[in-house]
Amino acid sequence: MARAQKPKQSRRPQAKSLKQNNLRGFAKRQSLKSQRSSKYSESSDVYEYQPENVRRSKVKLQLEKDELDGARRDISGSEDEDDGPKRNGLRPRLVGENDDEGGLGSDEDEEIDSDEAFDESDEERFAGFNFSTKTKSVAKRKPQKRSLQSRTVPLIDLNEDEVELEEAPSENASASEGEDSAADDEEEGDPEDFIDVLDMIDGKGPAESADEGEHTQKEERPSASKARVEGDDVPHLEDEDEDMHDEEDEGISSDESEEDESHISPMDDAISASGDEDDDVGTSLHDLQSFITNLDAGQKRKAPDDEAAPTTETGEARRQKRRMLKERTEAGEENEFAPHRGATKLNLDDLLNPLASSSSNLLSLKKSAKILTSISAKNQTLSAPLPQRTQERLDREAAYQQTKEEVDKWSATMKKIKEAEHLSFPLQAQPAGRTSNLELAAKFKPTTELESAVDRLLKSAKMREEDIAQTESLKMNHLSVEEVSARRAELAKMRELMFRAEAKAKRVAKIKSKTYRRIKKKEKAKIAAKLGEGSDDEDMNEETRMKHEVERARERATLKHKNTGKWAKAMRARGDLDEDQRRDISEMLSRGEKLRRRIQGIGSGDESEEGEDDTEDDEEGAADRIKASAFEELAQLDKGSEGEEDSGRKGKSIFEMKFMKDAIARDQQRAKQMADDFVREMGESNHEDDEDDELTGGRIEESSGATIERVGGRVTYRPGAQLRTVNSLASDTSSITLRSNDLPSDVARSVTPSATSPIPEKLGIATEAPNPWLAPRQDPAKAVPKKHEIAVSKDSASVEKSKNKLRKKAQKHEEEQSKARNDAAVDISMSNVMTLGDNSSAGPSKPKTRSQSGNQRDDGDDDSDVHSEVEEQERLLDRKGKGKANGVKAFEQRDLVARAFAGDNVVRDFAEAKRREMQEDAPKEVDTTLPGWGSWGGTGTRKAQPKPHLIKKVAGVDPTTRADYKKAHVIISEKRDKKAAKYMVKDLPYPYTSKAQFERSMDIPIGTEWNTRVGFQRGTLPKIVTKPGTVINPLEKLL
Amino acid sequence: MVKISVLQHAPSTHLPARPGDPTPTSRNLDPLMHPFARARERTRALNAVKMERIFAKPFIAALEGHVDAVETMARKPGTLNVVASGSWDGGMIVHDISLRRHILRVDEAHKGKISGVCFADEDRLLTCGVDRNVKLWDTREVDENGAGPSDVRKPLNVFPGKSAFNSIDHHRTDPIFATASNIVQIWDETKSAPISNLSFPTSIETISAIKFNLSESSVLASIGSDRTFTLYDIRTGKAERRIVMQMRSNALSWSPTFPTTILLASEDHNLYTFDIRSLKTPSQIYKAHVAAVMSCDWSPTGHQFVSGGWDRTVRIWQEGRGTAPEVYHTKRMQRVTSTLFTSDAKYVLSGSDDGNIRIWKARAHEKLGILDSRERAAIEYRESLKQKWKTDAQVNKISRTRHIPKPVHKAGQLKRTMLEAQRVKEERRRKHTRAGESKPTAEKRKVVIAEQS
Repeated sequence: MARAQKPKQSRRPQAKSLKQNNLRGFAKRQSLKSQRSSKYSESSDVYEYQPENVRRSKVKLQLEKDELDGARRDISGSEDEDDGPKRNGLRPRLVGENDDEGGLGSDEDEEIDSDEAFDESDEERFAGFNFSTKTKSVAKRKPQKRSLQSRTVPLIDLNEDEVELEEAPSENASASEGEDSAADDEEEGDPEDFIDVLDMIDGKGPAESADEGEHTQKEERPSASKARVEGDDVPHLEDEDEDMHDEEDEGISSDESEEDESHISPMDDAISASGDEDDDVGTSLHDLQSFITNLDAGQKRKAPDDEAAPTTETGEARRQKRRMLKERTEAGEENEFAPHRGATKLNLDDLLNPLASSSSNLLSLKKSAKILTSISAKNQTLSAPLPQRTQERLDREAAYQQTKEEVDKWSATMKKIKEAEHLSFPLQAQPAGRTSNLELAAKFKPTTELESAVDRLLKSAKMREEDIAQTESLKMNHLSVEEVSARRAELAKMRELMFRAEAKAKRVAKIKSKTYRRIKKKEKAKIAAKLGEGSDDEDMNEETRMKHEVERARERATLKHKNTGKWAKAMRARGDLDEDQRRDISEMLSRGEKLRRRIQGIGSGDESEEGEDDTEDDEEGAADRIKASAFEELAQLDKGSEGEEDSGRKGKSIFEMKFMKDAIARDQQRAKQMADDFVREMGESNHEDDEDDELTGGRIEESSGATIERVGGRVTYRPGAQLRTVNSLASDTSSITLRSNDLPSDVARSVTPSATSPIPEKLGIATEAPNPWLAPRQDPAKAVPKKHEIAVSKDSASVEKSKNKLRKKAQKHEEEQSKARNDAAVDISMSNVMTLGDNSSAGPSKPKTRSQSGNQRDDGDDDSDVHSEVEEQERLLDRKGKGKANGVKAFEQRDLVARAFAGDNVVRDFAEAKRREMQEDAPKEVDTTLPGWGSWGGTGTRKAQPKPHLIKKVAGVDPTTRADYKKAHVIISEKRDKKAAKYMVKDLPYPYTSKAQFERSMDIPIGTEWNTRVGFQRGTLPKIVTKPGTVINPLEKLL
Repeated sequence: MVKISVLQHAPSTHLPARPGDPTPTSRNLDPLMHPFARARERTRALNAVKMERIFAKPFIAALEGHVDAVETMARKPGTLNVVASGSWDGGMIVHDISLRRHILRVDEAHKGKISGVCFADEDRLLTCGVDRNVKLWDTREVDENGAGPSDVRKPLNVFPGKSAFNSIDHHRTDPIFATASNIVQIWDETKSAPISNLSFPTSIETISAIKFNLSESSVLASIGSDRTFTLYDIRTGKAERRIVMQMRSNALSWSPTFPTTILLASEDHNLYTFDIRSLKTPSQIYKAHVAAVMSCDWSPTGHQFVSGGWDRTVRIWQEGRGTAPEVYHTKRMQRVTSTLFTSDAKYVLSGSDDGNIRIWKARAHEKLGILDSRERAAIEYRESLKQKWKTDAQVNKISRTRHIPKPVHKAGQLKRTMLEAQRVKEERRRKHTRAGESKPTAEKRKVVIAEQS
């Protein structure tokens, strides 16, 4: 609403301070009004009560003003644009509303009206207010206010409306005021302040309608105000005139003042209700009476407010008048054109009263009228329509927003579709449910002849589903409830059990584990056996018993030394044992212990007590002792066999069986034979050993010097050879220089030294390192004795073992001797080698460093990994040479090696090659000058500088930027690899954000060879899947 | 016992257990047995892309019958094979594209060209023409009047209009349809006069095409001769928003899966997709045609669309990918005036100036017919290999290369030259203005001149 423009809320704080000013201004206004009223024939307050009149009177002036204002407004533009159609649109409606001329005048245009009103009456009022009080202060506040106003227009609108509702009686006046203010807003406020205008128009509507309704209602008001005017405002007559002119110029200030006033008005509300009547000094007696009656109440109410502003009577009157304004709903001013000039307030009832006699349905009419009045009281008036174009545009905007919102409901769906990895169209397909058998059966209707025939038969036999159920139920009838329930429970239990068993069987059937199956089988067998035992222990047939016995015997024979056998375990599990069994177990354990010892080489089990003591003994008697021990062992063996026989007899175990006896006999025979052989051999070798005793004694003692290898299940003992760890072997294969000769001998040897018992390892270090260079050549003679090896099986007789051991020791001794000799021989020629080796620059340096690093082996480990391979070799060599007493010999050997490869300057060649490579790749400038072209030839000509444009620059790779820069052992080619280039991309392809991401995606193959079937299917599933022949409907809203 | 291994295979290991099952793949799980994965897959990708090119034979058939240019086509909703077409001579034919025969043929459906056809519900067909009439037809073999396929058909209903109609579209569910003449009119099938008129105020243009949104079925869009695109809503009964573009559009189509997306085929050789929630800029520009685009239609999946152009080519685009569409052409195909996707998204129809409707495969190299699972797996593997290796230069080149008619190629060259010249000029202009004064405008921002509400 236009009148509602005043930013009440924002102004509130200021309102109180302005109160006084307002009051004064108000007084002035009143006086002005009274003047005006005096001007016109009517005695009533012109402004307050006869707005039409005022307007009409102003018509001339107003037009002029309008012209002025129009000029001003034209600048603002947009407002004017809206004004035109508005005027046209409004006019007809208003014409209908207002009967008299005044009304018409007022209705001509709201804006114009407001302008007029402002120009003349209101502004003057405000002018009075301004001039009389504080123009300065007002001026100061001005800009602030304006901004506020422009901002808060809509809010205020509402408030103002309310205010006016309350002020109903002085409708017109207030309306005009409001209009004024609005007009002022228009004029002074921001020209773009478009809403103001609209609101103003809105505001106008109610005012007009109110006018219409209450034109007649409040007639006393004009008179009252008039009286007041007469009383107070006459003195201000001159002021008014001044103001009338000044106000035009200072419209702004007046505007403000008016706003202020408007703010105050709600404050005064409390007083207002009856306040208007207070001042009503109507022409009629009735008025007077009412006035008097109301006066008291009004004063009572006024009392609290009065102290705030000490006022003269005029001031008081003014305020009261303002209060009175609130109740005013009348649009028309009381004047000669006003339709109703009665003293009493004209109500709707007054209008209806005459109808009371005529119409019977007055009640209903009253009812409807009541609604009307109530509505009008609420001021629920329609807003004036906007210009059609604007209105339509707004509508379109709103409609578009609506559509947008509506459409935006799809956004989640669309997002989902967009982000989906796989889409199967149609998206909204109905899921095809599977039909169960029951469903089918229920639906089934016999259609064919056969079916119907069968059905008939079933029916006649009462065998159909429903018949069966029926018969069952019939049968159940004979049973008692308990019986039935018990039966059911039983059935349910059975079913449950069956189901469980089935499920378990299914699960078990799925198990693929072989061990599980084996265990299962055994269990089964055990159960079977138990069952068998339980049933017929007595008549267990011969065969099964035999089988059992064999089993036990086998275990005893093979696993006596362990307690992990089946039998042993069974024994252990049994818990309480009788004496016999305990003995058996202990025997078994002791045997195992013996065997273990023997394997470890501490001594044969039987003589372990003595052997341990002996080891530290003097070296002199060692051989003798060994022999003695050997013989002793033999003797014991004999004894043991006898003992065994005895024990076999005692326990009526398998040894009584025939086959066992046979076997034992055979064994014994063989053992004896062996023992004899051994004795014979020992007798021979005794002499040889004696000779070497002095030299070898110590060594024989501490080391058996044998490697034990297992070849095809047999343990092979062989005189000590060089030992290699697995990793050293690996490094050897990749090494370049020293390996070639090593390998054959390595290969000849077994590959798995680690498979042997710990002894060889321990001893291997002690043994002499192999001489890769010399070993194969120098020992051709020894190769034969070395090869002479005896296979000693695990369970072969201990005689043999001891024999073998002895022989090994002897061999070892011999070998070492020979080696020492060889080294000594090499030593002689060493000096030559050294000199020869110096010829090559790179070649000899390597062995030297090697030997050095060999001395400080531990340090070598820390070297850079570039040299790791070399280091590894060296370490290997060191290990080989460690056993040697003197490092000199090792040095010699290496030199020998170096000498052998004297011609191969591998390192130097490599360095050279690398240098060449770098040179080739390095950036260079090529002079492309053709001799004889572009220069003078012949004798005496000086050689010209090469032209710069003929120098072709080849951008190579700078040596320092090479990948192999400062890496002595590698050459990394900087050339572009054409084959690899196929797999390169220029730029990072679009969806990828990093190189690593892209590479990873390219690394993962998607084919079946590299993926499981499911993985393959997932990996190759296309993004959009459509089925041929399926209609894909557009998305639908599913409610 | 000695175990003897014999060369025999249990059928279960290499044959599917049941007829429908996939064949069990036997492979050695040792990764060492499958070295060079990258190289091998690249070669396979290369082969796949070559195979694609070898087997790219998109043309299936031509449906004859029209004696003049095919102006408009419409598929029957819910069917795969029924397509109606209208021609410049006023002839209307309903085709069965799978049998390649005419279901209905009306030679004088309208006087002058038939500017729009669309299916109403069931078997009824609406046509509009420049003779200011909208006609409702029964497309059944024997219609209500008892006229057989050989008889002269009479329309079930005629809706007279005041001016020549340019386009017609039926609401998806309700019995209402919209026509485009100088205004947009909404008709009820049961009423002879339009139930409402929609027009953007102050517009005095001719509406050239109109389409109902498929999912938000009350939303309506039209394009006009004033280079405009206008959005309506029949619920609010208003033209809600209008944009004015650089060049006028010739056809429009709503996306079936993205209800906010609309596709415009523009006179400036491009296609544009707009999101109707923000009409300021197009969401994507599709550039490849070398002449005005005359028609467009979305695939029912909403991930592809087809366009036919004045340059005598049909192009099939991937949604969101503004370049390098599949291009179809034949020697005898003239200006393509109408295009259509079938409702299974497998085929594309194009009606052209030469009066033929051509059926194409939507994917040129796709094998038609039933595939067994192994073949399908192989095809899928090939497709994903192609996808994976599309960054490879060689693969990309093979998959990209198309033979196109010389005139089209030349026109493309010329266009490129012109655009380049424009670009250079603009750049120079910018270079010679004060720094920062004129900034290059994004291509998308150039499209829409004004957005009106």
